[in-house]
Amino acid sequence: MSDPRENSGSTVAKGKVYPSPEAALADITQGATVLIGGFAGRGRPEGLLRALVSNGVDGLTCICQGAWPQSPEIMDVAELIANGQVRKLIAPLGFYSGSGGPVAAFWQSGEMDVETVPPGVLAERLRAGGAGLAGVFLPAAPSDRFLGGKEVRRFGDRDFVFESALRADFALLRAEEADTLGNLIYRGSQRNWNPVMAMAGRVSIAEVSLVHEPGGIDPEAVITPGIFVNRVVLQAD
Amino acid sequence: MTTPSRLDNQQMAQRVFQELRPGSAVALGSGLPGLVAGQARPGSQILFLSEGGGLGYQASAATAGQGQTVVDSGGQGVDLIPGGSMLSTIDVAALVRGGYAGVVVLQPAQVSAQGDFSHWTTAATPGLFSPGWAWDLANGPGRVIAIMGHTRADGSANIVSQCTLPVDGAGCVDIIITDVAVLRVGEEGLVLEEVAPGWQAGDVTAITGAPLILASNLREMSFEPVVAEPPNKVYSSGLAAIHDLPQGATIMIDGFAGLGGMPNYLMVALRDHGVGGLTLISNTAGVARVIGFGTPPGRLAIDHSILVDNHQIKKAVASFPVSPSPSRPSSFELALQRGEVEVEVVPQGTLAERIRAGAAGVAAFYTPTAAGTQLADGKETRVFDGKEYVLEEALRADFCLIRGYKADTLGNVVYKGTSRNFNSVMAPAARITIIEVDQVVEPGELDPEEIVTPGVYIDRIVLRPPDFLGYE
Amino acid sequence: MTHENDKPRLDREIIAMRVAQELPDGGYVNLGIGIPTLVSSFVPEGRTVFYHSESGVLNCGPLADEGEEDIDLINAGGQFVKPVPGMAFFNSADGFAMIRGGHVDVTVLGAHQVSAKGDIANWMLPQRGVGNVGGAMDLAAGAKDVIVAMEHTDRENHPKIVQVCDLPLTGKECVSLIVTDLAVIRRTTEGLVLEEVAPGWTAEEVQELTGARLTVSPSLREFQL
Repeated sequence: MSDPRENSGSTVAKGKVYPSPEAALADITQGATVLIGGFAGRGRPEGLLRALVSNGVDGLTCICQGAWPQSPEIMDVAELIANGQVRKLIAPLGFYSGSGGPVAAFWQSGEMDVETVPPGVLAERLRAGGAGLAGVFLPAAPSDRFLGGKEVRRFGDRDFVFESALRADFALLRAEEADTLGNLIYRGSQRNWNPVMAMAGRVSIAEVSLVHEPGGIDPEAVITPGIFVNRVVLQAD
Repeated sequence: MTTPSRLDNQQMAQRVFQELRPGSAVALGSGLPGLVAGQARPGSQILFLSEGGGLGYQASAATAGQGQTVVDSGGQGVDLIPGGSMLSTIDVAALVRGGYAGVVVLQPAQVSAQGDFSHWTTAATPGLFSPGWAWDLANGPGRVIAIMGHTRADGSANIVSQCTLPVDGAGCVDIIITDVAVLRVGEEGLVLEEVAPGWQAGDVTAITGAPLILASNLREMSFEPVVAEPPNKVYSSGLAAIHDLPQGATIMIDGFAGLGGMPNYLMVALRDHGVGGLTLISNTAGVARVIGFGTPPGRLAIDHSILVDNHQIKKAVASFPVSPSPSRPSSFELALQRGEVEVEVVPQGTLAERIRAGAAGVAAFYTPTAAGTQLADGKETRVFDGKEYVLEEALRADFCLIRGYKADTLGNVVYKGTSRNFNSVMAPAARITIIEVDQVVEPGELDPEEIVTPGVYIDRIVLRPPDFLGYE
Repeated sequence: MTHENDKPRLDREIIAMRVAQELPDGGYVNLGIGIPTLVSSFVPEGRTVFYHSESGVLNCGPLADEGEEDIDLINAGGQFVKPVPGMAFFNSADGFAMIRGGHVDVTVLGAHQVSAKGDIANWMLPQRGVGNVGGAMDLAAGAKDVIVAMEHTDRENHPKIVQVCDLPLTGKECVSLIVTDLAVIRRTTEGLVLEEVAPGWTAEEVQELTGARLTVSPSLREFQL
């Protein structure tokens, strides 16, 4: 596979910065599992989502907060679904079905599976994946609808359920600023899923508003260290 | 007969606000709970937690959509208060499961007499349960307050004997605050404790779908805020901060290796305090005293050794318990040779992860570290995808003594350089966490984006005296 | 096994220099204590390597100059290091997530013993009764590539590369490359393959000082620096 970055040369000298979201996603393949940051319209990598729609790759498993478009101006995973690219959606909020629409139709027809999960459980599974653990025992709730077939074990005075680690082929992230080494900082609620998804993605791509040279970000302020970030793209205006 | 008027949403939120006390985090779900944040007054120091990652926020003074970078659980822009901080999703999950959200406020669609609830998403997405954060919040250790209309628009009851919608959490709800009443979910059933002004117990019973027990002190709801003094976390000295650390306690103390990052001042206080039989959880059991790590010539670093020498340590759980140089044995190694102390050697990453698990409400995890080695002896192992993993359990402590750089008076902390390492992992993993810092500042002086340990995890703060040295 | 051979062996710097060639451009590398620490001084020109340190810093810099020491900026061995642009600080839970999660490309470790199957023993000598495991087991289990840099034999000239380790293990079947003062040995599915020998040494002489059977690579050559 050729390096999708232009002007090949020392990859390090150029840092991890890619010229466009399309270039950063050039090697995504059919059936990939994709993590997508964002909560209530904040911290969503809109440019990368748009590039993914134009890439057209399908059979994707998308893991994100949910397909709940906040407004027509904000690119949402719902558009990927409407474009027929998503085979499975794993999300705490599922999708907004109040207004019907193409997302509900894909689910009702069986073309897309939907698995809804509590976000605290999903976050912990992703962290376990990113941290090299095989899985974790999380508190089990009485008459828990998520238990289905999972191992329950007692530790101390209560029951815990085994949740397996989760990783993904790609993580599409949004951050405010990056340096060329991939160190990231966020702004307000933009942070949400992005740091834990950065850990769990095999290829983690951050869309940012500003790219610094190394030293441009205070090392004390870094939230996602560059070791978790493989590619950086500048958000288009 | 005229029906008495119902409370408006603001009054319901005011009543919820009376239940809150400064100090711990209060998680607010989407919908009506969002209004509770609007009740906060400057200085009330109630730290609202939003699903959007804001910890310590209030309703925004600016017009909606005018540049607020922080959102509440419903996606509305809010403002952080001085001393607020930002969390990511995994941080929110850990905080809630770890029991640091003392109160959770949700708006269910239905609540049963047993405290079972159905969340609004169950009704909003027919055929598909979309738990959002409700499941995590309700099933965490925090007290759950339901804020909701007593009935639906069609007059049918939202409070019922058994939920007719799928149950999202069984036995979770502790208190129900509606537009007509306050109900407590008791062992014996639903107890009517308060009624809205103008309402009689019978009026409430008539529109409730479950039997109600009348409280002996049934009273009318009031809406005045309850004033509670925020806890003072700043202690005058190390000894004052550790005065109640008991004999036989399990304690965490950071000490990666060198002089940075160790709470030397608190260590001296603990030596002077004198209690023994302690189980120490720490990366090292004191090696700076023999290796130096930059200690000026002729001086001795203050590390865990001073506690060992004072016969206070019974056992150490550590990854690096003894000196890297066998010819320069540490106090702990000598005590080990004399049979005075025990040691449990734990790989450093496993140690960090066990402490993190204890902080985050995770009981145990499977790690590949130490598989096939003697440090896995006696532990359960399991193969996943052809690779062997070892089951390791969470660690928590009674007291945690750590070192930070700056803290504000709410306990928000920033660290310095590599002195962060185990300190910020341990902070949330003990019943009482005491931090020694170089500077104490006012809330708002630390950048909320850069706060590493939010104040909810810190119980006591001690200023390291400016003339105190890390060696003697 | 204790055949006396007094041909000159390579010094620690040469071992470190040879290991440095294995580090990938742009890779994240964790260096253990001892010979591995020397590796950072010999990274080939034009290649950039980012050092991960268990002390809680990514892009860890070189040793600090005298008078410039900062107690809040140390490496995993507790030595003072220089600040460099692009550092990031993190806590120990995140630091080991980086290691176990396979985000660290290469670790270079010292060892008491390495076995034919790639097991490594480096944390404890039983006669002491207690050992410092530190981060060694996490690195052995988690880093994508484990390179061992060590002397070929111990002080009594006993082989440190053995059929089966008799010292307490640090990790199983994890070592991919062994660089010693006599040889470069790669672990493959066929076992240990001798790829390079120190100047003046033959494959047979190296085998004599090795406790496990070596397959000699058809392209066996002298140390490539």
